[in-house]
Amino acid sequence: MSKTTQLVKSKKTFSDYWSSYSTVAILFLMLSVFSALKPGAFLSSGNYVKIIEQSAITILLACGEFFGIILGGIDLSVSSVMALSGVVCAKLMVAGWHPVLAVLVGIILFGAAAGAINGMLINVTNLPPFIITLGTQAIFRGLTYILSDARSVSGINIGFMKFVGGKIGGVVPMPIIIALVVAIVLIFFTTKTRAGRNIYALGGNPISAYFAGITTKRHQLLCFVISGICASLAGMVNIARLGSAEPNAGTGYETYAIAAVIIGGTSFFGGQGVIWKVVIGGLIIGTINNGLNMVGLSSYYQQIAMGVLIILAVTLDRFFGASKNK
Amino acid sequence: MVRMTSLVEMRNITKKFPGVTALSGVNFDVKPGEVHILLGENGAGKSTLMKMLSGAYEPTEGVMVANGKEFPRFTPKISQDNGISIIYQELSVINEISIQENIFVGKLAEKSVLGLKVVDNKAMRKRTQEVLDEIGLKRSPETTVGSLSISEKQMVEIAKAVAFDAKVIIMDEPTSSLTTEEINHLFEIVNRLKKQGKGIVFISHKLDEVLAIGDRVTILKDGQYVGTYPISEMDEDRLVKLMVGREIKGTYLKDPDKEYKNEVIFEVNGLTRKDEYVKEISFKLKRGEILGFSGLVGAGRTELMEAIYGAAPIKAGTITLLGKTLHIKKPYDALKEGIALVTENRRETGFSPYFSIKQNLNQAKNLKESKFGGMTGLINNAEEERVSEEQRVAMQIKCATTNQVITQLSGGNQQKVILGRWMASNPKLIIFDEPTKGIDVGTKSEIYKLMRGLADKGIGVLVVSSELPELLSTCDRIIVFNDGRSNGEFLSTEATEEELVRAATTK
Repeated sequence: MSKTTQLVKSKKTFSDYWSSYSTVAILFLMLSVFSALKPGAFLSSGNYVKIIEQSAITILLACGEFFGIILGGIDLSVSSVMALSGVVCAKLMVAGWHPVLAVLVGIILFGAAAGAINGMLINVTNLPPFIITLGTQAIFRGLTYILSDARSVSGINIGFMKFVGGKIGGVVPMPIIIALVVAIVLIFFTTKTRAGRNIYALGGNPISAYFAGITTKRHQLLCFVISGICASLAGMVNIARLGSAEPNAGTGYETYAIAAVIIGGTSFFGGQGVIWKVVIGGLIIGTINNGLNMVGLSSYYQQIAMGVLIILAVTLDRFFGASKNK
Repeated sequence: MVRMTSLVEMRNITKKFPGVTALSGVNFDVKPGEVHILLGENGAGKSTLMKMLSGAYEPTEGVMVANGKEFPRFTPKISQDNGISIIYQELSVINEISIQENIFVGKLAEKSVLGLKVVDNKAMRKRTQEVLDEIGLKRSPETTVGSLSISEKQMVEIAKAVAFDAKVIIMDEPTSSLTTEEINHLFEIVNRLKKQGKGIVFISHKLDEVLAIGDRVTILKDGQYVGTYPISEMDEDRLVKLMVGREIKGTYLKDPDKEYKNEVIFEVNGLTRKDEYVKEISFKLKRGEILGFSGLVGAGRTELMEAIYGAAPIKAGTITLLGKTLHIKKPYDALKEGIALVTENRRETGFSPYFSIKQNLNQAKNLKESKFGGMTGLINNAEEERVSEEQRVAMQIKCATTNQVITQLSGGNQQKVILGRWMASNPKLIIFDEPTKGIDVGTKSEIYKLMRGLADKGIGVLVVSSELPELLSTCDRIIVFNDGRSNGEFLSTEATEEELVRAATTK
């Protein structure tokens, strides 16, 4: 029996390597292409820091989005939650709240509540998450405009800005530290906790998960709460970097988040995917945007590049990845 | 019999996968106008063989022959060109469109109107009607397939094969979800196709069917070619011996010499489901006893189990387990109370498809040990490893490693994983719904032994089954359902199949 095991293990095919490391390979490919095109500017360590910093928001959103997609669903409201919580947190600070309290209430609690609204609506109506979060995306965005009077909210606590938007030791940007801490917590959650395991079971086959005794609605709610908190944290990072809360912040960012999750190899049908690859997916999106800027192409081309990459990544996965064996 | 050239022939076929030889030295051929049975336990290599006929797999060694021409392998095109058509167990009809569209899907008939090519519905309807008449399906070609019964959907698949002049029709366990009447109809069709000179390959686990419909039988055992025999020389005992190399004991009833305490461990009293699929059911289960549930599909057997397990709301009645009255609202509550349900459809409701054997084996235990709807607690790798090894040995699960994905196992081994999953959670009552559906004879007897072992340990066992011999040889008592109500209770030692059928079909 042990001989069989060895045989199975030693014969790794290209397919196996592809499904394990395709995301990393794409990232290195991107880095090499841009390095070759614009070696001076792109290769500087300052630029790497910039890429990482710019990727932080995408990574945070994508980490949350992962929990919508792992269920076989989606969360389209992340971009609006990001803007709304940013405005709420900024307003609280302007009203004189201590930044820590403002973050706890305006970001963590508020994000959890927004996610819980999504989750509860999905649980009660039994409608697809696509429909519900499409609706709440518009509702949350509308609330953002009403709450902010459609103007940017300034007067954010300086200490907050310097801490959350700053760099540790003048080098490592705080936003990426926040994003990585969130990612590490979620990696732990998905791989080491029973609730995380249950979520994979639920995404893989909701009916057998139900019959296995998993409390499906509760876990579904939890997924959207996590997504809400991650989106809110992205909102926090965003207002700290900009120094103000913009009501139109993050418009369209749900696309970046979904793209990062998909490029990160997460199955759109649910049940399969890992967080660390989603982080790489976020970095890839950041690299494309930064690299095309460096090369001198406008943001319109960035959209196209991202679109091509999504299709390419999923197509290659079909041919070489795990799904080929199905 | 006149010697006829074979439509398809496989000579000395060997198929190796990394680390495993799936088939070795197999010979198989199909002659015009015969039903050739392919028999073997799950994992014996039947599917692998079929995949080589369909062109999905390439044989490692051996020769494939179609209409006298030799090929190193079949491609899907060669397979199609030589009229090989496969009807899979899981039907591939499209529910949303009509019968004729299903038959012509991908090959829609065309006609030219003003130089534009448009779909020729009239021609398709005509051809479909011919084929439906031929196989005796009394439905209009324009009927939406979704509104048909499973057996009718299967006939649509057969019609599809016939419409495009298939010469070899392979049926993969075609009777597994059909009623007796539907099976008889299927056999009529098979005989009709046979008379038209088509070669039929028929895969089945049901030996009575094999003997009734087959002309020749090829038996595989663990990937080895056992032999090809005329059915006329076979009976059930011989088939079983050739398949598993051992005789299956017919009975798994409790040992009459053993002392059983007359203690009721589980009781249902006046249970009625909210939707009234189950009405006023009462029964008691004693320690050491296995209680069976018979009746037609939809008569309320599965529906009762769903209600006990918390998967369907109840309107009235009480459920008592080991003296404790239970209030179960969802499967999680049932699991917490020690009730386990092995569902009928492994693939749809049984296991987590992307999980490893190990992860599946630990699922129920993890849920039971955690609180707040199964959400608290961490995964303990060492403990998971221990539990999965324990269950792998106890259930005799055949796998290379418990890190394999569960879908790589045969149906029988998947069922053992599901049973092991429940056993790891220390249940007090296990409900089996069609525990051996699609499972080979050898594994069946292993599962019966496991069930008896559970009852001997004092765990309550309820069994729902459509196979009467299964109920009669494993259960001590049998309750027959009829239209949502109990319509008689029988002792296995005294009941006959005829009595059970009568209780199920007449009030």
